[in-house]
Amino acid sequence: MASDLAGTADKTLAHEMGLDEAAIERRRRLVGLGPEDSKRIATIRDAITQRAEEYAALFFNYLAEVDEARDFMRNRELVEQARRLKVEHLIAMVSGHYGAEYALQRLRLARLYSRAGLEERVFMAAFHHLLRAIGTAAVRAAPEPELGIEAFFSLQKVAFLDLGLMVDVMVAERERLITRQQEAIRELTTPVLQIRDRLLMLPIIGMIDTHRARLLTENLLHAIRANRAKVVVMDVTGVLAVDTKVANHLLQTVAAARLMGAKVIVTGLSADVSQTLVNLGVDLVGLQTIGDLQGGIEEAERLIGYEVFLRDARPNGVAAPLRSL
Amino acid sequence: MSVPILRHGNVLVASIQVAQTDDELLQLRDRLSEMVGQSRAKGVVIDVTAFDVLDSFATRTLRDIAYGSRLRGARTVVVGIQPDVAFAMVQLGLDLGAVSTALDLDDAVEELNRPPSEVGRR
Repeated sequence: MASDLAGTADKTLAHEMGLDEAAIERRRRLVGLGPEDSKRIATIRDAITQRAEEYAALFFNYLAEVDEARDFMRNRELVEQARRLKVEHLIAMVSGHYGAEYALQRLRLARLYSRAGLEERVFMAAFHHLLRAIGTAAVRAAPEPELGIEAFFSLQKVAFLDLGLMVDVMVAERERLITRQQEAIRELTTPVLQIRDRLLMLPIIGMIDTHRARLLTENLLHAIRANRAKVVVMDVTGVLAVDTKVANHLLQTVAAARLMGAKVIVTGLSADVSQTLVNLGVDLVGLQTIGDLQGGIEEAERLIGYEVFLRDARPNGVAAPLRSL
Repeated sequence: MSVPILRHGNVLVASIQVAQTDDELLQLRDRLSEMVGQSRAKGVVIDVTAFDVLDSFATRTLRDIAYGSRLRGARTVVVGIQPDVAFAMVQLGLDLGAVSTALDLDDAVEELNRPPSEVGRR
């Protein structure tokens, strides 16, 4: 079942990468791999197939000695799986057939490497060591050294076809990770919180792009209606980068809230951010800004008509205002 | 259908219930302007809750009503702009300028009863 699932994942990935027969043919042509190469490789097939286990061990022994691959080698289950696939790989490499099935096999192994966190440069180095050993063996196995070298050169074309696939998969997997993380950031919810009757707070954290700005504005507008808000404190302490675009998004949000009869106070523009805005020449005159969240909430309370008192601070029964109006 | 204009104290309330053509909006503007003078109203509330969309013409007419009324001594508050309408207006770059807005009638009347010195502090 699990291998079925993995198989489906490989096929999906192959599809995403546009790896159909034509694309694989194109890749073969790029490295110059043709029928006569298959013939030459056939002369060293037995020598490689018989010792495939040994060569695979060479590859992993190299990795075991490299610091950069320590995390990868620690995952015994994956390494064992990779070792099996590597033996299959070596046998397939000299089989003479380099079509869709072969590519799919490469994808499976590459996905495993990237999942286990094996870095490209480490993989390349290990692969190089493996190839060198195979090359030496090929020359020895051939009736004449020259024929052995020719067979090895043909095999090298296969190796570079492999490398092309491997690196593409590893890059694709990494890109997928980045996309997933970006989505996670984008999906960070932006809650609209009511902190007093008719007073809302909108803490914004992280990156603001067009999509998120839209969600945020819609949430806020609906919350304004649902809570009958009069004042909204929008805190941007958690927004580290503000550029013209972000500033425009904020201005639009403020303008939309105003159309619904709510006033927006922006707080938490840091020194860096405000300096950037000044340098960019962004006009925030339409915004009411207050340094920090506390100041913003105090101002909002004042606007709505709240007065906040500290209970203990009334020595002679007269409540002392905590905040001057 | 012409929009009914109700009088509540010294405030005129125009509640627009159905979509208005451009001509009907202009008629509303003229009638309001006239009634502000007749009834010596101090405030005008225009309720646009029923609007699914406020286009550039409607926006400009609302602005005109507000400026016109101010010249005749009444302040104008627009109430009931829906969230989606507000968002669309902002996206289209439409702006009510200095016209006051409020969430609903209650807020609008409260806003109008505020002494003029406090106007704009909100």
